[in-house]
Amino acid sequence: MRLENVGRRYRAGGPWVLRGVNLDLRAGTLLRVEGGNGTGKSTLLRLMAGIDAPSAGRVRARPRTRGYVPERFPAALPLTALGYLTHLGRVRGLGKRAAAEEGAAWLERFGAGQYAATRMRELSKGSAQKVAVAQALVGSPGLLVLDEAWTGLDQHARTVLDTVVRGRVASGATVAFVDHDPARLAGAPDLTVRVAPGGLVTAAEPVEGVRRPAMTRIEALGAPGAGAPEGLPGSARPRLAPNGELALTVPEADSDAALRALLAARPGWHIRSVRPLGEREGDSA
Amino acid sequence: MKATLALTRYQLALLVRSQRWLAPLLLYVGLLAVGVRAGQPVLDSLGLAAAALLPVAAWLVRGCVTAEPTAARHCAAAAAGAWRVHLAGVTAGAVMALLFGCTGAGVVAWLSAPRSTDGSAAVPLLPAVAAGLCGVLACVLTGAAVGALGNRPLIRSRGYAVCATLLGSVAALALGASPANAAVTGLVHGSTRGEVQVPWLALLAAVVVAGLAALAACVAAARRG
Repeated sequence: MRLENVGRRYRAGGPWVLRGVNLDLRAGTLLRVEGGNGTGKSTLLRLMAGIDAPSAGRVRARPRTRGYVPERFPAALPLTALGYLTHLGRVRGLGKRAAAEEGAAWLERFGAGQYAATRMRELSKGSAQKVAVAQALVGSPGLLVLDEAWTGLDQHARTVLDTVVRGRVASGATVAFVDHDPARLAGAPDLTVRVAPGGLVTAAEPVEGVRRPAMTRIEALGAPGAGAPEGLPGSARPRLAPNGELALTVPEADSDAALRALLAARPGWHIRSVRPLGEREGDSA
Repeated sequence: MKATLALTRYQLALLVRSQRWLAPLLLYVGLLAVGVRAGQPVLDSLGLAAAALLPVAAWLVRGCVTAEPTAARHCAAAAAGAWRVHLAGVTAGAVMALLFGCTGAGVVAWLSAPRSTDGSAAVPLLPAVAAGLCGVLACVLTGAAVGALGNRPLIRSRGYAVCATLLGSVAALALGASPANAAVTGLVHGSTRGEVQVPWLALLAAVVVAGLAALAACVAAARRG
């Protein structure tokens, strides 16, 4: 998705909360948003999630399914936790049973399975936050926006959420998050931006590595028991089966070099297929 | 469409379980209890059953579009778009009002006498009920339009919103230009003359008015969820 010269102010003639924001986020990008209190981090996240519309500029190619975790989730809804998750799953196009099953599975994973039948207003703050996180994940949305989603979760659930976020990014979802903890998902973000007072958004790190490169999957067959071929680009991730089947995941830019290495190797490799990796395939890569 | 249906189901579940339907229902029952007597001319009573529904529909729509806490609304808006969330709220309120109205019209038709106002002419019951249901639908749609225009996101302050909903309902009943007024007047005139007039034109106008009002509210909701 792309943010093109996006600006936001809450009334005509009022101060700009955000202005001139340009972001190009490929599928599979993890974005960290930083900035002081009240600088417009949450506004930026809401614009990305499609909750708010920009006052200027455009947001293009936003993923069709989106999940949003607000910073506070007052659970004053007259539904049970699982009932709520089922409704949200159906809004994302799941059938009733699939939505309920997925909702229950997420509650279980975050350690709130016992609250499935509890009314939302009876949930503790932490359990309510688990429901808030679960509703954003039901239906595996292509864009996940987390506004301090970790706040209020217990240690176990925080770790689970870290894992889930990495998994969603690996499977091609775009994830944007704000968190107070500077060590949150350290090393994982492809891009960190800082929102300054006055609404200007700047990259907080060098623009190198901004994009997670599109990946290509190469499948080849070698002699049974053959080792990984020599001369593969360093970015290639080979997975070799004992029967000689090789699955190679490599950034698109290096795919030619990888193919050359395979063809030049002795004993030779038979190339079976070369294809770009789809959104959902990164998990198994 | 699928998402809007799922959202409407969600909003209806919120409405039913929050019991925000109870007070509007009591208002409707109260208005019918005051205005309808057994053996009164059927078209008059159906006109009243329709007219009483307008503020009820506006109140129900208000209940629906303000049911969710902001954070929950944002979650739903991210899932399906803020305008769909709002449209679903307005629709859920209107559906509930329609349920009240159809039940009310049924009870009223059963209690009333199939005669004209002066009792001189017989009024055929089935066409009268059909005309009454048309009036009910016209009033539900007009009431939903009032509820959509008089509340969040177009009017955010609670005090102003309640005033706008209340005054809007009164105006939509009293002003000659309103489709609800036209529909009710049509029923009552029919009763005086002892002939059934199905208020098609008023219904059509109510559809247009409700559509435009919902459009305005949904566009505003999409601007600022």
